[in-house]
Amino acid sequence: MSNPSQTTATAPTAPQEHEPRIVAFQCKWCTSAGSDLAGVSRIQYPANAVPIQVMCSGMVSPMYVLSAFNKGADGVLVSGCHPGDCHYMKGNFFARRKLYLVQKLLQFIGLESDRFRMSWISAAEGTKYAQVISDFVRDMKALGPQRKLKAKR
Amino acid sequence: MVKVEDIQQCAAGLLEKGQVKSVLGFRRGTAGAMAEPCTITEAAEAGTLVWDPTCLNNLALYLVKDRKQQAASKTPDIRPIGIVAKGCDSRAVAVLLQENYFKREEVFVIGVSCEGTGVIDPKKVATLLKGRSPSRVEFDGADGFKLTLRGGEMQVPAREILADRCLECRAASPALNDVVFGEPSGERGYATPFHAAKEALGASETERWAAWEHHFDRCLRCFACRSVCPMCYCPECVVDSTSFVIEPQTSAEEKANRIKWCERSPNTSESAVYHLTRAIHLAGRCVDCGECERVCPVNIPLRLLNTMLEMEAFEMFHYQAGHDLSQASLLSSFRDEDPNSFIR
Repeated sequence: MSNPSQTTATAPTAPQEHEPRIVAFQCKWCTSAGSDLAGVSRIQYPANAVPIQVMCSGMVSPMYVLSAFNKGADGVLVSGCHPGDCHYMKGNFFARRKLYLVQKLLQFIGLESDRFRMSWISAAEGTKYAQVISDFVRDMKALGPQRKLKAKR
Repeated sequence: MVKVEDIQQCAAGLLEKGQVKSVLGFRRGTAGAMAEPCTITEAAEAGTLVWDPTCLNNLALYLVKDRKQQAASKTPDIRPIGIVAKGCDSRAVAVLLQENYFKREEVFVIGVSCEGTGVIDPKKVATLLKGRSPSRVEFDGADGFKLTLRGGEMQVPAREILADRCLECRAASPALNDVVFGEPSGERGYATPFHAAKEALGASETERWAAWEHHFDRCLRCFACRSVCPMCYCPECVVDSTSFVIEPQTSAEEKANRIKWCERSPNTSESAVYHLTRAIHLAGRCVDCGECERVCPVNIPLRLLNTMLEMEAFEMFHYQAGHDLSQASLLSSFRDEDPNSFIR
C-alpha cells in the first residue's frame, strides 16, 4: 500500500504559491509578549514569520536588516513598544530614527518599500500582532520572492 | 580673493613659533595641474604650499591617520597639527571633534573659503578639453576658472567644470576655524541643495534598482571609498574581520558559527550590503566632501547614497553634519515629533 503523503508529493501539482519568509525582530518586553498572547489566545495567523527576540527595538542594528535581506528574507519586520512605553525609556525612539533612515535607503536603491516594516505592538495587543503578520504575509505573497539583495550562492 | 602668500605666511608663522608640529596643506603635484596633499614641518617649506581649484583632497583624513599613528607610538607627539581646510574639510574636522576623536586644542584650522566657486572635477575637465590636460588651473573672478594649456589660456565658467558637490555646497567658507582667508560665502546658487539625490529619487523603483544593481555589480571591493573617507576610522570594519581571522587551525565548525555580515567576494548582493552599511554608518556624519566618489575606479555615484541620507536628516530631523559641535549626533538623539506615520 502506498503512502498517501508520498503520492501527493510526487504527483504533478499546480505551481506552488510562494511562501514568503519574514524575519521579525521583536522586542522582549512588548512585541514578544504580544506574540505570546496571540499564541495563548489561539489566534490563527500564518507561520511564515521567524521571530527573533531582541532586548529592545533600539538594539536592532541596520546590519541585522541588511543581513536578513542578504540571507534571503522576503520581508523584515522590526517591532517594539509604543513610543513612551520602552522598558529602557527611549530605545524605541532611537530605533524609529535609525530605521526610518534604513527604510529610506532601501527605497532609494529600489527595493520594494513594503518589504521593510516597523510596528509598535504592546504586550496586550495579541490581535494586532496576528493582524500585522497576516498583512505582511499577504503583501509579500503578492510581491513574490525577494531576489534583489539575496546572495546568489 | 584668497592670496596664497597669506596661507604660506600663516603656516610659516605657526611652525616658527612652534605652535604646531606640522601643517597639512597642498603643494604642486608632479602630474599635470593637480595639487597634491603634503605635510610641512619646517617654516622654510611653507613656500611650497599652493591654493587653487585643484586642491581636491579632504585633508581631515590625515588628522585621523596621525591620530592612529600617535596612538600606536611609544613616544606620541601630542602637539597640535595645522590644517588647511576648505568648507567641507572644516565640517569634517567638526564632526571628528563632535565625536571626540581628538580635542579642539589638538588641531589648528587654517580656514580657506572657496568663495564663489570651489574645486574642479578632473573628469569634467577631461571631457571639456577632449582628453587634453591643462598645465595650470586658477581661480578667475567670482565664478570662473582660468585653464592654462599648451596653446594658450582659456576662461571657463565655474558651472561647467565644478565638482558636483561644490555645485550643491551650502557652506563654502569654513565655519570652524582659527584663522580664515577669503570672503565668507554660503550657498552659491549653481544647483539647489540635494539636487542630485532628488533627481535620482524621481526615477521609478524599477529604474532605480536597475541603476543600483549595475553599480553594485561593477564594484571591485577595492575599498578605496573606505580608505579615503575621514569618517571611516574604525580600526576594524564589519566587512573584513581582523580580530577573527581564519587561520589554518580554525575548525570548520568555528568558521560556520562565526558571524559574517557579508562576504568579501565582489558579488552584487555582497557589494550592496557593503555600500548600504557604509552609507548608514555615515548617516549624520558625512560632510559631503565627495572623496568617495572621486576615488572610485569604476565611477559608482557613492555620493548619492550619502547625500540622500543627509537630505533626510536635514528635512526630517533638521540635522546638519559638522554644523554644531555641541549638538548630539543624529543617531544618538531623537525628538518627539520624529516621523511615526511609517510605523504600523
